[in-house]
Amino acid sequence: MEAVFAARAVTKFYDMGEVRVHALRGVDLELYAGEMMVLLGPSGSGKSTLLNILGGLDRASGGSVLYRGFDITAASERELTQYRRRHVGFVFQFYNLIPSLTALENVAAVTEIAEAPMRPEEALEMVGLSDRMHHFPSQLSGGQQQRVAIARAIAKRPSVLLCDEPTGALDSETGIVVLEAIDKVNRELGAATAVITHNADIAGMADRVVHMSNGGVSRIDLNAQRRNPRELHW
Amino acid sequence: MLGTLDRKLGRDLWAVRGQVLAIACVLAGGIATYVMSVSTLRSLERTQSRMYGEFRFPEVFAGLKQAPRSVAARLAATPGVEAVEARVVAPASITLAGYRQPIAGQVVGLPRGGGRFNRVHLHAGRIPEPGREREVLVSDGFVQAHRLQPGFGLEVTINGRRQQVVVVGVASSPEFTYQLAPGSIVPDFKSYCILWMHAEPLEAATDMTGAFNQVALSLGRGARVEDAAQAVDAVLKPYGGQGAYGRKDQISHRFLSEEFRQLRMMATLFPAIFLGVAGFLLHVVVGRLMATQRGQIATLKAFGYTTGALAWHFLKFTAVVVLAGTGLGVASGAWLGAGLARMYRDVYRFPYLDFGVDWEVGAMALAGSLAAGGLGTLWPVLRAAGESPAVAMQPATPGRYGRSWLELPWFSQPTRMIARNLVRRPVKSVLSMAGVAMSTAILIVGGFMSDGVDYMVFAQLRRAQLDDLTVTFFNPVAERGLYSLRSLPGVQAAEPVRTVAARFRFAQRSYRTVVQGLEPEGRLRRLLDTELRPVELPAEGIVLTDYLATMLGVRPGDRLTVELLEGSRAVREVAVAGVVREYIGVTGYMRREALNRLLREGDVATGAYLAVDEPALPGLYERLRGVPAVAGVAARAQAVRSFYETLAAQMLTMALFNTLLAATIAIGVVYNTVRIALSERGRELASLRVLGYTRGEVSYILLGELTLVVFVAIPVGLGMGYGLVWFLMHSLQTELFRIPLVIRPSTYALAALVILVATAGSALLVGRKINHLDLVEVLKARE
Ligand SMILES: Nc1ncnc2c1ncn2[C@@H]1O[C@H](COP(=O)(O)OP(=O)(O)OP(=O)(O)O)[C@@H](O)[C@H]1O
Ligand SMILES: [Mg+2]
Repeated sequence: MEAVFAARAVTKFYDMGEVRVHALRGVDLELYAGEMMVLLGPSGSGKSTLLNILGGLDRASGGSVLYRGFDITAASERELTQYRRRHVGFVFQFYNLIPSLTALENVAAVTEIAEAPMRPEEALEMVGLSDRMHHFPSQLSGGQQQRVAIARAIAKRPSVLLCDEPTGALDSETGIVVLEAIDKVNRELGAATAVITHNADIAGMADRVVHMSNGGVSRIDLNAQRRNPRELHW
Repeated sequence: MLGTLDRKLGRDLWAVRGQVLAIACVLAGGIATYVMSVSTLRSLERTQSRMYGEFRFPEVFAGLKQAPRSVAARLAATPGVEAVEARVVAPASITLAGYRQPIAGQVVGLPRGGGRFNRVHLHAGRIPEPGREREVLVSDGFVQAHRLQPGFGLEVTINGRRQQVVVVGVASSPEFTYQLAPGSIVPDFKSYCILWMHAEPLEAATDMTGAFNQVALSLGRGARVEDAAQAVDAVLKPYGGQGAYGRKDQISHRFLSEEFRQLRMMATLFPAIFLGVAGFLLHVVVGRLMATQRGQIATLKAFGYTTGALAWHFLKFTAVVVLAGTGLGVASGAWLGAGLARMYRDVYRFPYLDFGVDWEVGAMALAGSLAAGGLGTLWPVLRAAGESPAVAMQPATPGRYGRSWLELPWFSQPTRMIARNLVRRPVKSVLSMAGVAMSTAILIVGGFMSDGVDYMVFAQLRRAQLDDLTVTFFNPVAERGLYSLRSLPGVQAAEPVRTVAARFRFAQRSYRTVVQGLEPEGRLRRLLDTELRPVELPAEGIVLTDYLATMLGVRPGDRLTVELLEGSRAVREVAVAGVVREYIGVTGYMRREALNRLLREGDVATGAYLAVDEPALPGLYERLRGVPAVAGVAARAQAVRSFYETLAAQMLTMALFNTLLAATIAIGVVYNTVRIALSERGRELASLRVLGYTRGEVSYILLGELTLVVFVAIPVGLGMGYGLVWFLMHSLQTELFRIPLVIRPSTYALAALVILVATAGSALLVGRKINHLDLVEVLKARE
């Protein structure tokens, strides 16, 4: 299978005055095309740091990350912006919608700068929000807001979808609806997807489960069968 | 097409519309002042240079006692002189049927054959026809003030000879744009006018046939005014020459130049303050916007928006405010400028005045507000837009608080919160105070003009000049002649005065003005000290107007060279005996008897101050007109009235305008301060409400901060206002007039009141918002 990402010996540290905090201590990892990967690990183990580096939001301190052969650790600020604009969709724990824009406009804000996006309505339809297009974020529930965030992430037809604790702020019922949307997008668009979670139960929906601890990958599990989020509960 | 982000921009703007409007108004205030004063200035300057060319305004002027026409030809042959025109000018006293007050006039001989210099602009009627000796032109201000049409008659007394003339035309001329009657402080078009009449009858009336007493010259290329003036003085000396001078000492030109200087000052000082305050407010509002939208910026960057695109997005916020403020400012500035130009036309009699706003002025206005907006917002926008998205995604670290020195043990918890908040952001607190203080100061400047002018009039007309009538004579008359004045019905007292043109020299400096010889025990014309107490005129030596002493650099005890320009033309060293406080003009004073000794003349006077019974006034005018020696009569009551008629309305308009401007700043600053505080601390306050704090307590925390800022700012602002007034007073003072540094308590009180009202208004608006704080909403959402 083709590797979308190939991370080699990726390190990341923060200098905090006297002490140096090592967030990543040499991570080797692949993400394959069309794959659904779940990242599990205790708080502070470096999951978000790794995802941010993959998504071009942050820079590694050492090692290399190849995106389809393009080394994003060596990319310029301008190249990183273009990279994010063309290829990456993000979903965040706290949705990060623009409060002054409606659901539709939040999606449109991204499709306007993308190359071959779907129509914003189409993206919202994929996450089952056709009837809430003209609502502002403050008029939507947490789960609905997160689905708008997913629609926003996928509307550009990204080749990678990076989700940092997308269900972290949601109850299990709502969380499952959101995961279903991610699952559906992964299957239908074939975007390589990485989902960070604290919740081991969610690991069932993945092709591969990556366990992180203390800034490194401690174990990788392969699921024989990927389960539908509907069948998960916690 | 508008993009989605533009729609976001629109909603962001709408959410803070109150603040945006307030800032746009402050900006508009500065721009309006700029456009108004610069446009008026440019229009006036344009008009001036156009009319100087069109009506041939001379370059050198000289007055003399009398000289035959052949002397003019000699002047024309002087090196550097290009052309010369000689004429007769004479004072006159005038009667208009149905108008009972005295009218003074200046009669100017129309040169034979059209005239080389000082041509007149005809507003109505026609030029007097050759040979028709009784036809005259009259100045347009007079006609307008009396609502007359050409065709009316006047009785004119020149040199004691009465004659009837017919006004056939209404005119103006660049030499008389500012028409100040001798001894008065502002133009009074009802009781002063200029008459132009044929040269022959005027020469005959003044016994100057074939002679002249005034000359105008233009200079050749490269010739210097000073050199020409010296040459002219040399030629005219035997003929009673009173000293030649250039345009800069010509009264109309002089006053116009002063106005230009004031307009220039107004065009820089006020706009600079307003743009500075607007830039600061934008800085605060946009800074706050960037803080609240930190996460949004990070998200948009995560999706591929560039730093440049985002910076531009937020700079558009500034651009909208700047464009709105500039548009409003230019429009109102154009409107106000047209009004100001009209006010100028009422005082300065231009032949024409085309007011217009040049595109350069608009462009400068836009550039100025863009610069203010840019300076205020560029840095916070660029910093926020350039932040790394991974960092910006994380919630901002909680503000760093510490104990402050403001805290005292007996303070309640909310009071401590206020103190900590002020101390935590000292720069912002100080800038907010500076903004409020600045608006207080501008309010004081608004009131100062009328306070100062009131005081000036009070000092001049109620303390120094106590006469009811001032009479001037054609030629010096013997003191004995005053008996006939004293014997007129209604005259209680008459005090003689001797006025002589003179040049003062000290070290390298010199100044040309007049010396007045007064009676030592005079009660109708008094000299005052700084406290406006009358001072005794010393037996020996000369007393100078304080400003004149400063100009010449002399102090009491110094020996001043006095060069008399009339009579004996003596040049003498005279000891400076003291200085006196005066706000209008500059003069030297001596005892009349000492001055006459210097002139080597007997006991003579050139005029008299009269105290008159009010009811006898009208009859007295009538009688005085019949006295041949009397050249003119001026009434003090009329002077005060005309002063207020001419200037007070304008002063009031300007004061109102200034107050309105200052109120805009005050409201802008105060309102923004509270709104920002509410936005920054809404969450915190809502949390306190959830914890059981009452609305009152929460309002106290928010408004207490504002109140503290305002209460510190007001006294500071009152002090700054005094400083600003001091600066204005010093930079506006000239030998023509000095507005005294007087600020009434009521002006201070009004300034403080306006600020307090603005504060209370803002507090009410924001207090309503506190009452409607959505507790659930605030706690649910992540900041
Ligand atoms: N900006 C930063 N400055 C300093 N240290 C940081 C910074 N960002 C992250 N870290 C540190 O790096 C380590 C990894 O953080 P990271 O956010 O990747 O953990 P995580 O696995 O996502 O944890 P969580 O499950 O709590 O989100 C932590 O120890 C954290 O304190
Ligand atoms: Mg994390």
